Amino acid sequence: MSNKIACTHCHLEFNEDVMIKDGEHYFCCNGCQGVYHLLSDEGLNSFYDKAGDVKLSPPTKQYEDSSNFNAPAFYDRFVKTNDDGFSEVSLIIEGIHCSACVWLNEKALHKMDGVIEANINFTNNKAHIVWADNILKLSQIIDMIRAIGYNAYPYDSALQESHANKERKDYYLRMAVAIFASMNIMWIAVAQYAGYFSGMSQNIKTVLNVAEWILSTPVLFYSGWIFFRGAYYGMKTKVVNMDILVATGASLTYLYSMYITISKSGEAYFDSVTMIITFVLIGKFLEVLSKKSVADTLDVIGKHIPSEVNVVIDGNVVICKLSDVKVGDIILVSSGEKVLLDGEIIKGEGSFDESNLTGESEPVYKKVTDEVISGTISIDADIEFRASKDFEHSTLSNLVQLLESAIGKKPKIEQLANKLSEYFSTAILLLAFITFIVWWAWPHDFETAFIVGISVIVIACPCALALATPVASLVGLSLGAKNGILFKEAAQLETMAKVDTLVLDKTGTITQGKPKVVNEIIYEEFDKELLYSLAKSSKHPVSVGIAEYLNSDDTNYSTIVFDELNQQQALGVSAQMNELELLGGNYKLMKENGVEVEYVSDKTLYFFAINKKLLAVYELSDKIKDGALNLIKELKLKNIETIMLTGDNKNAALSVADELGIEKFYYEQTPEDKSNYIAKLHEDKRTVVMVGDGVNDVLALALADIGIVMGSGSDIAVDIGDVVLLNDSLVSLASAFKISRTTYGLIKQNLGISLVYNGITIPLAMAGLIIPLIAAISMSVSSLLVVGNSMRINWQWKR
Amino acid sequence: MDSWLIAMMLGGSIFLGGLALIAFLWAVKSGQFDDEEKFLNAVKFDGEDELNDAANQEAKKEKLKREYRPE
Repeated sequence: MSNKIACTHCHLEFNEDVMIKDGEHYFCCNGCQGVYHLLSDEGLNSFYDKAGDVKLSPPTKQYEDSSNFNAPAFYDRFVKTNDDGFSEVSLIIEGIHCSACVWLNEKALHKMDGVIEANINFTNNKAHIVWADNILKLSQIIDMIRAIGYNAYPYDSALQESHANKERKDYYLRMAVAIFASMNIMWIAVAQYAGYFSGMSQNIKTVLNVAEWILSTPVLFYSGWIFFRGAYYGMKTKVVNMDILVATGASLTYLYSMYITISKSGEAYFDSVTMIITFVLIGKFLEVLSKKSVADTLDVIGKHIPSEVNVVIDGNVVICKLSDVKVGDIILVSSGEKVLLDGEIIKGEGSFDESNLTGESEPVYKKVTDEVISGTISIDADIEFRASKDFEHSTLSNLVQLLESAIGKKPKIEQLANKLSEYFSTAILLLAFITFIVWWAWPHDFETAFIVGISVIVIACPCALALATPVASLVGLSLGAKNGILFKEAAQLETMAKVDTLVLDKTGTITQGKPKVVNEIIYEEFDKELLYSLAKSSKHPVSVGIAEYLNSDDTNYSTIVFDELNQQQALGVSAQMNELELLGGNYKLMKENGVEVEYVSDKTLYFFAINKKLLAVYELSDKIKDGALNLIKELKLKNIETIMLTGDNKNAALSVADELGIEKFYYEQTPEDKSNYIAKLHEDKRTVVMVGDGVNDVLALALADIGIVMGSGSDIAVDIGDVVLLNDSLVSLASAFKISRTTYGLIKQNLGISLVYNGITIPLAMAGLIIPLIAAISMSVSSLLVVGNSMRINWQWKR
Repeated sequence: MDSWLIAMMLGGSIFLGGLALIAFLWAVKSGQFDDEEKFLNAVKFDGEDELNDAANQEAKKEKLKREYRPE
């Protein structure tokens, strides 16, 4: 055996005799050799020093012609023009293994004439490239990336994604300024408070005041801009919100402190200005972090529908825009493709996955003259069908329209903190005003009355109030994440705690959605490899279930290649190998082939026979998930009513409902039925959680107060849902309820703490007994109390 | 202790701190912290060549910007 040698380019090791020798270098393939020479020629050899021993993927792939990247349609979609007139594109680069790969790609692109900027993100392999389109074309850029052994394809840099990032970055900047300023002001404040007790000359006091003034100015006007904006919108809609309180409090305090500084008398409160803004800004930022944008949801619908179909015109297949297809056009659908229009099959036959509409994974067999429905997926059918409706009137498009309107109709339950802050803000502003009037009327000079009035607003600083909900929500979100529950928005925790009705889908939600072997009867020993290979050859869920079952005992079966293999629609699979005739399928298949079968059961049966002799029978059924029974019991204790909606037939629904003790259930439900039912529940003033997994549940999920989706569910459902159960387990669903109730309790506690704090301090402030030091300390203490209380839950849950 | 001394020291430190803050804001705005992995890895590939390349790239960009006439 000869020695293994590493390829100079990709570092993969092979035997010496299969390597290409090139001077002192060895290469595993022409691709690696080509890239190596290209890099040497370009002077990018230092890539190999930087990459070290990292193994790369050899550039062996053959790519289609890249000139189609220059097509106007392509440019329209992916290439943007920036303000300077340069072209911009977002690419995903494949084959990046290490930071040296990022370096190499950036360097190689920078060396190209006309490339202005090439920036590759190491974490997600997304590249942002800016170039002058009159010097080089996109295809040349992609060719370069391919030439150095990577591949690139463009992606639509979703506007929403960058929009959310922009907002977050904006908050980062504002917070950086606020935190910088408040940290420095705290130092100065220490000096001031020390001077307050030990005496300090007015000159030094003024110096300190001016320094604080300088520091607090950007905080109020730059960081605090968000509150002024919020206050403006609040006044426009005639709602007294927290922003108004923060904005008036902070700016009045600022103005007053300015007056103090200039008149050189009394105490300035610049530290309070920055502290209020900083704390409340942090609270707002936490809210922004845990918010899902509505635009995101609307965008996903279009994403899942291809825009082109294959139309047969005079025997030729033409790719046609979906919206251009007319009634009567003949459309070609190959196996694995989605049916996008409704119509009647005129050629071919096969199985269709209609789970999008019914939720059932059992394929439906269709032949000539049968109707195909848009939104279904061809499993193994290559068919031609005549469109009976155009896309606008198709079932699929109808579903999309219903979905859009459902998202719009989703009820928004007002958050406790928002409701509270409106009353709170109004009350504080009124109290401050009254205090001012009373002090002024009761012989005091204007100045004293004004200070006392302001001190009411300052002390009522809504710091703790602003932090109460976001901090508690954050704890809830992180608890959820640890348990495999993804809440897309913090507000949903609160909504979910108020839920009184749970609507469950059956297949895929309560049950596993796939037939599993529950009973195995072997009449005679046989080579299981044969059965495994036979089951593996079909994509039918029953066959998949058999293959999974055989695999579950850790035996590694190899797949045998049969001499002849026949998929028999709606029956099973037959195969021929040497002298053996294998049959695997249902009762009908056995009967047609003259195999004697006596076994009867109400479950799905799979028979296996060799040479017309029955060897084994497997009973399959859709198993109920673990934890389902406990979940239903727990919810009953919490007074949450459980209702099951299923597209399945009465018997299947009845048996599951019976086993779990679900009293209310509806069967043979279409997607519209489900969403209508949710709407009816809303009319009865119910707050509803809908749990589902498939496209057929999407309408109901969108309409429900909270839509919970199984992580393995269809993409569109996962996108629409508000909460995703990453591990598909019903135990997680139960914890989701628990977590949301704990969090809501926590929010109430936190709000309570901040109100009690205000209940004590506001009367003191109204009496004019608050000095700046106490105001500053109590502000921090109340905020710390709220944060600490939230942390407590985190620890409690751990134990 | 005279108050001008305090004023000078406070003013000086706030000014220097402000410079650091502005540098930080600039770095965040220009996306230098967007990709933390790359940001850390960049240290490994730092050297004279890299600086030269960066300067050349910058010059090229300026030149293109001046000359570029989109149709």
